Amino acid sequence: MSGTVKNGETGEALIGAAVVVKELSGVGVVSNAYGFYSLTLPQGAYTILVQYLGFKTAADTIVLARDRIVNFNLLPQPIKIGEVVISGERTNANVTSTEVSAKKLEIDEIKSIPVLLGEKDILKTIQLLPGVKSAGEGSTGFYARGGSIDQNLIVLDEAPVYNPSHLLGYLSVFNADAIKDVEVITGGMPSEYGGRLSSVIDIRTNDGNMKEFGGSGGIGLIDSRLMLNGPIVKDQGSFIITARRTYVDLFLRLSKDTMINRASVYFYDLNMKANYTLGEKDHIFLSGYFGRDNFDYPNYFGFNWGNTTATLRWNHIFGDHLFSNTSFIVSDYNYSSSDETSTSQSEISSGIQDLNFKMDFQYFTNSQSTLKFGINSMYHTFMPGSVTATTSSGTNSLNLEHRYALENGVYFSNELNVLQDLKVNYGLRFSTFSLLGPGHIYTYDQDGNVIDTATYPSGKFIKTYTNLEPRLSMNFLLDETNSIKASYTRTTQYLHLLSNSTSTNPSDLWVPSSNNVAPQYADQGTLGYFRNFGDNAFESSLEVYYKNMHNVIDYKNGADLQLNPNVEALLVYGRAWSYGAELLVRKRYGPISGWIGYTLSRTDEQFATINNGQPFPARQDRTHDISIVFIYDYASTWNFSATWVYNTGNAVTFPNGNYYVDGRLVPYYTQRDGYRMPAYHRLDLSATWILGPHSNLNFSIYNAYDRWNAYSIEFRQDPNNPSQTQAVQTTIFPIIPSVTYNFTF
Amino acid sequence: MFINRLTLFIILIAVACCLMSCQEVVSINLNQNSLNIVIEGVVQDHPGPYSVLLSMTGDYFTPSLYFPPVSNALIIMSDEMGHRDTLKEVANGTYQTSTVQGVPGKSYQLSVVVQGKEYDATSSMPQKVFIDSLYDVPRQGFDGDKGYDIYVVFRDPPELGNYYRVNAKSSALIPADSIDGRRYRLYTDKLTNGNEMAVRIRAGRNVNPGDTITIDLLSIDKATYDYFHTLSDILTSDQSPTSLAPANPTTNISGSALGYFAAYAVDSKQIVVR
Repeated sequence: MSGTVKNGETGEALIGAAVVVKELSGVGVVSNAYGFYSLTLPQGAYTILVQYLGFKTAADTIVLARDRIVNFNLLPQPIKIGEVVISGERTNANVTSTEVSAKKLEIDEIKSIPVLLGEKDILKTIQLLPGVKSAGEGSTGFYARGGSIDQNLIVLDEAPVYNPSHLLGYLSVFNADAIKDVEVITGGMPSEYGGRLSSVIDIRTNDGNMKEFGGSGGIGLIDSRLMLNGPIVKDQGSFIITARRTYVDLFLRLSKDTMINRASVYFYDLNMKANYTLGEKDHIFLSGYFGRDNFDYPNYFGFNWGNTTATLRWNHIFGDHLFSNTSFIVSDYNYSSSDETSTSQSEISSGIQDLNFKMDFQYFTNSQSTLKFGINSMYHTFMPGSVTATTSSGTNSLNLEHRYALENGVYFSNELNVLQDLKVNYGLRFSTFSLLGPGHIYTYDQDGNVIDTATYPSGKFIKTYTNLEPRLSMNFLLDETNSIKASYTRTTQYLHLLSNSTSTNPSDLWVPSSNNVAPQYADQGTLGYFRNFGDNAFESSLEVYYKNMHNVIDYKNGADLQLNPNVEALLVYGRAWSYGAELLVRKRYGPISGWIGYTLSRTDEQFATINNGQPFPARQDRTHDISIVFIYDYASTWNFSATWVYNTGNAVTFPNGNYYVDGRLVPYYTQRDGYRMPAYHRLDLSATWILGPHSNLNFSIYNAYDRWNAYSIEFRQDPNNPSQTQAVQTTIFPIIPSVTYNFTF
Repeated sequence: MFINRLTLFIILIAVACCLMSCQEVVSINLNQNSLNIVIEGVVQDHPGPYSVLLSMTGDYFTPSLYFPPVSNALIIMSDEMGHRDTLKEVANGTYQTSTVQGVPGKSYQLSVVVQGKEYDATSSMPQKVFIDSLYDVPRQGFDGDKGYDIYVVFRDPPELGNYYRVNAKSSALIPADSIDGRRYRLYTDKLTNGNEMAVRIRAGRNVNPGDTITIDLLSIDKATYDYFHTLSDILTSDQSPTSLAPANPTTNISGSALGYFAAYAVDSKQIVVR
């Protein structure tokens, strides 16, 4: 039997719904990213249970005499209302799935946890899970198990998003109103994903209500949002549009300073999607995202950046067992900054564009095995920078050459019930990367001088890398509530992010692997114990991991990355390794829900030319990382939530002495990353007053006990005593309260 | 240039977001038991003598304006024509040349032997680039701050690979170069090769009409540019989660000494602020 699992009220496909056979223990499948499932059973009558968090379990008796299509429409059952939660409702997927370090976040959970200024933000919320650490206040960048910021693959409906941050990092480009769910994979990466070493954040958007028109929105302190959706043809096709725009610039108008009050500062996001069912076997989707950030100080300078993605997808079902999806994806990221003073006018721009073709197949062989295989081919265009200057500006125009590359991946995997209690998911990804012409390719000596230049015509293969990436994960079920899982993966990364900072900065530069820059690769092993208790009311896991990363990149001292045609000469290569233990206890049902996560970990790096070749702790090494999330629903009138985070400070390089040179007092450094920033901790509180079925008012306080966390520590000469030095700490966000009004219609 | 403005802007927005200035002095424990020698040597295109200063590093939070000078070093400066000049120590830690002459287009070598160790460096003096003119423009600053912009106009030679440092001094200020926060003004011809360059010095509130500003245009070599560029990065960096790790400036002195050896040509002109 095969078919689709949907939300009975809206027609949205449900991802990851469990379709199990009551009479046969351990027999069942999980619906895929489009809600499709296929189950092979001997002829007979069975009770099929379909379970999904937040929905009433469907229980149907199905008589299987021949192949048939059975679709399930589940009705929502808000999990928080009501004291009694039927034990059959709760799934033990935490224990039974072969996904090791993968966590799914439901959109309702994300919407209960406000971040700064009452906003709900996916990238900020995933940083509350163990193993995922924020790169700092004012940044949406994050580290997954000690990996650097560019090692995370963030995809929105299969399109990679290169810079997911607005407003210099405190808010991401993902509007929670458009999102269906998010999967966070930090280990045991399945073979269908590749191209980044440390994590996959797979964000899937809503398809739109298939049955009736409606919408929702919100008015907040700094931005407002609106969502509209409805059917194109009832039960056959639907659309959804979500939009968001900030009005920070209105606050700037209040400033008395004439520089500030003429400034233009805004960002917007627009998500659009339409889908249509063509018969029983075919379904097409067209989705797009458009977003932009803009800062402009007239006659002074301007800065803007943005992502654009578009995805066209076609699902086709062959027979009853084979599900396929074919996608065409376009992704574009660019930024530009302009200098507009009267004496010089110039504009610098840079960016990256992708054209992507993917085919993914899922073959539900039988109740013991599911095969996945597919191909993913990406054509990258890198635009490292160009300066356009007006003739009076005194600055020359400069165009750094574009670079072109073809990145391919072919994969297969098989999830197999090897024994009664042993499930294995084994797979292999074969990836290739080729740098293509046209272009001038440089070779450098040790000091970074160009010793050779070769010219390549368009389309010629300059340098090709190929890699085999085995992926393996297994689940040994001790009983219905306990399991042990282990995994091993090899991943390769061909694109590298060069940055003047460790946060996602608009001026970051994506560069391809080349004759000078080798791909990064990593091996990761994990071992974990998973246990549910309280009759599946609580999920818990304890996972240990070790990850070894090769060819990681750092910079020569004083490296100037901007507009540098020889930026590859400024790079140095080394190794990074990280290990740790992650503990997570999560409650997902009932009026009280939330989780506690604790990570104990270490990340070190070693480069021949840094720190005298001695290993040193990575910037992102944080020994302890604790997150506590608490959500309480009171009588469907109020929803309270509290979040408390604590982490050891980052490793930093502080001076060991001082000296005088050129008449100035200068700090003297001996150890790289030898010190720690002060520990960071913060409490956020939120209360949502549900005014009616269609509106609510949310009050939130960020940093409720006003802890002055150190964003930066500067050493400077004491203004009262110039021969003495003092350390000064800057905090960005003290206590910040906020109010937001939300509505649906 | 854009990045510095952007960083300024980030901090500005961040401070604007928090209604009060969220800064406080904190105490940090540093283990301070490493010592290193500091060598500062210059050769200029005026007749001389030129000085080499030797000192040691000191404690980080020390209340001293004075770092221990290093005496009794053997310092030899030589040029490519074979002159060798053994420097004389004229004051503690200050050594002077007697015969070496700085000439644009020539390269110079420094050798320092002290405390049983040897340190060597080489620097080439570029051809001298002259200041064409200076002019001042009153300006309205970012935060309502008034002041003057002084423009230094000069023409970059046609070959790529010229580096400059501009110093601005006012006799009315202490220290003399505290115009515009004593920042380093370093330029390359990466984007402006062969052009007439107009470099802007932003003089702040402390500069008044009638003050005489002396502008020096130093034509420096790449190693000297790299040194001051990385030195300037340290002096303007902060330990935020987002900045790159600082390291000692890239020096052209071998043997793990701090400091630099620079040969440069200087052109000086003056302007009286209107």
